[in-house]
Amino acid sequence: MTAFLMTRLSSTLIGILGVLCLVFLLIHLIPGDPVEVMLGESALQADKEALRHSLGLNLPLHQQWWDYMRSLLRLDLGHSLFSGRPILDLLVERIPATLYLSLVSLTIAITLALPLGLLAATHKHQPWDLGAMGFALLGMSIPNFWLGPILILVGSLWLGWFPVSGQEGWNAVLLPALTLGTAMAAILARMVRSSLLETLGEDFLRTAQAKGLSPTRILLVHALPNSLLPILTLLGLQLGGLLGGAVITETVFAWPGLGLLMIEAIQQRDYPVVQAAVLCISLTYILVNLLTDVVYAWLDPRIQFKRP
Amino acid sequence: MIPQFLISSVRKSPRFIIIIHWPATLLILALGLVFGACSSQPDPNTIRMGVAQAPTNLDPRYATDATSARINRLLYSRLVDFEQDATPVPSLATWVQQSPTHYVFTLRDHVPEFHNGQGVTSQDIKATYESILSPHNASPHRGVLHIIDRMETPSDTEISFYLKRTDPFFPSYLVIGILPANLIANRHPFSDHPIGNGPFRFLDRPDETRVRLVRQTDGQLVEFLRIPDPTVRVLKLLAGEIQLLQNDLPPELVAYLANQPTLHLQQSRGANFAYLGFNHQDPLTGNILVRQAIAHAINREDIIRYVFQNRARQAQALFPPDHWAGPVQLTGYPYDPDRARTLLAEAGFGISHRPTLIYKTSTDPFRLRLATIIQDQLSRVGIDVVIQSHDWGTFYGDIKTGRFQMYSLAWVGVKTPDIFRYAFHSQSIPPTGANRGRFASPIADHLIEQAEVSTNRTEQRTLYHDLQVHFLETLPYIPLWFEDHICFSSTEITGYRLESDGNFDGLLQVQRNTSTTHVASIRSPAI
Repeated sequence: MTAFLMTRLSSTLIGILGVLCLVFLLIHLIPGDPVEVMLGESALQADKEALRHSLGLNLPLHQQWWDYMRSLLRLDLGHSLFSGRPILDLLVERIPATLYLSLVSLTIAITLALPLGLLAATHKHQPWDLGAMGFALLGMSIPNFWLGPILILVGSLWLGWFPVSGQEGWNAVLLPALTLGTAMAAILARMVRSSLLETLGEDFLRTAQAKGLSPTRILLVHALPNSLLPILTLLGLQLGGLLGGAVITETVFAWPGLGLLMIEAIQQRDYPVVQAAVLCISLTYILVNLLTDVVYAWLDPRIQFKRP
Repeated sequence: MIPQFLISSVRKSPRFIIIIHWPATLLILALGLVFGACSSQPDPNTIRMGVAQAPTNLDPRYATDATSARINRLLYSRLVDFEQDATPVPSLATWVQQSPTHYVFTLRDHVPEFHNGQGVTSQDIKATYESILSPHNASPHRGVLHIIDRMETPSDTEISFYLKRTDPFFPSYLVIGILPANLIANRHPFSDHPIGNGPFRFLDRPDETRVRLVRQTDGQLVEFLRIPDPTVRVLKLLAGEIQLLQNDLPPELVAYLANQPTLHLQQSRGANFAYLGFNHQDPLTGNILVRQAIAHAINREDIIRYVFQNRARQAQALFPPDHWAGPVQLTGYPYDPDRARTLLAEAGFGISHRPTLIYKTSTDPFRLRLATIIQDQLSRVGIDVVIQSHDWGTFYGDIKTGRFQMYSLAWVGVKTPDIFRYAFHSQSIPPTGANRGRFASPIADHLIEQAEVSTNRTEQRTLYHDLQVHFLETLPYIPLWFEDHICFSSTEITGYRLESDGNFDGLLQVQRNTSTTHVASIRSPAI
């Protein structure tokens, strides 16, 4: 296990390094100059040069990259070019909002997807199955930028149960979480169905049946746990995506999360913030994937981490 | 076949009990978070305004965006303000021009104190402008104020500005909020804790999306909420979560809100000049016949009627007729597709030889829609248009470096005719100025220079009129329209007046109709 973790961590580090280099290069190579955004066009050329110098943007790209990497090794993410605030503070402000939204969305997704998938798998090709999979298709097809305002219309304007946007009140998270959760639930429900259908044909379930166990027990205690591995893979990917910041949903609901921070930083060409946000997102993805692998082994003792 | 012992081990394993119940586990966790992270409910007495972008800087020395400028107007006072026709008028101080390069400003009586209780003196004015002029501070306003050679403060109420050269528009540049000199010296973080002497004082910024101010006269709380999505801004207004919404709405949402009985619509003539810009060094767009053909091919009347729903007016020049330097009764280019085809034929183009133009615009959905309409209208006269839409940074970067044939943009908040030198003089090619299309006309240069040395307002007006007639003939830009300012307020509030330049000064009088008036008992932030 330790060897496995070490191998994974080393490949993870290489992955992060690759992501960092790529993002650093891309954000510096695309047109748009933070100094121009900060000072405006009417600023004196000398002032623009002075600011570029003080921000270190006049240095050759490789020098800037090297400085950035050295700062990272010291765990110094730098300061925002615009607000001048430490980037760590910005991330600390935004990450809890994203984490909170992600967890609630995931809860909604699982709560919807498991019963739907179970229902569809146990009533294969029957109206329940068609209904559940129809919902799944709908959930996958509806874009968040449309579903979000529709949920606001129904939940906030017609019913008056939720605030329209922002973080006002304990229930403010539910509409953005529903927007994200239903789309995730749709994909997840399909995965639960197909994975369960595969497991339901296994010999050990016939044995369980022959032993006289109740269908519910067979389904929930034997079939479902044994079909969890592919579901878990998907959940890991979805959680990674959520923690990376659901940009569209965060924009629609004015939810001050990581995705919104990154988009704003890209628009302003706030290089250090973009780099830090991408670093944060890629780390999240990698950690969630790593966690998924560990949970695999924990879930199914047959899986062992051995070199081939 | 999986051995039986595995099945039994699976069944007995406690980890699977957790897995079976993990939705419940997660739900409990999430609920815990819900209660742990729940935010405060909005105060029912606060007046809330939805804005598309949060203010980026509440220090007037560094702010450049429109939201910051409008909120800073409420927090700080300035030496000079503008009349409806953009004529500069005294605000904190009156002025006398002692010589072409020497202005004396005298503070008016009963100037409000700073929000920390200090009185305003000429030292504060001097310190504010000195900090802007200091190259170490990298203020974006230094470029405009660089003309100041030195300042002297003969008394607490008087300050003299000595200029490096004459500039008849100099008072118009002194519109930046004044800060206390001692706090400037102590490097007070004004952006986080603004302290000015404006009609509102800063209360707090609970998070990146909200800014709260308190009205000095009666303690009324006003909150600005950043809501990026226009549809959500509208829904928030309809749900009563905000009471005011001003501009930044697509026309279809404006039309929808206008029909809502619970909302009050105010509309005023805007002065933000929308135009089509050209690269004059490009063989195609550098040809005046092609530009004139484009001007005749665009049906601005229909665009204003059907797309803007008559909430805009046609532009013939950079300044509208109600600006003191705006030309009156200019005849532009009427929609005339036949004339456009004739002009194209004169330029050597026809059915078998259609010109193709690249039209750059931003990713804003409404601007893209306008671009596709213009694309269609130009196609009807024989000009093929390829639209390239880029994110703002890339688009603006391309425009400034001259990487375009045609683009659409708007000049926002321009009040002083020094814009003509900045945008059209042949010496103002970037990075020196904003002559992005590399337009060069000796006649335009001469008229700009003449108007700059004239001290007679009537003569200046004539020169600027001639200049704008010249622009209409030579078409460095094709003038499109001035969009109206729009404001929706809920019936919960009264007294909000929409200002002609779209600022938020209407908040000085606005009242929320609740049974009790909320008086903020919250103290000013600690300095």
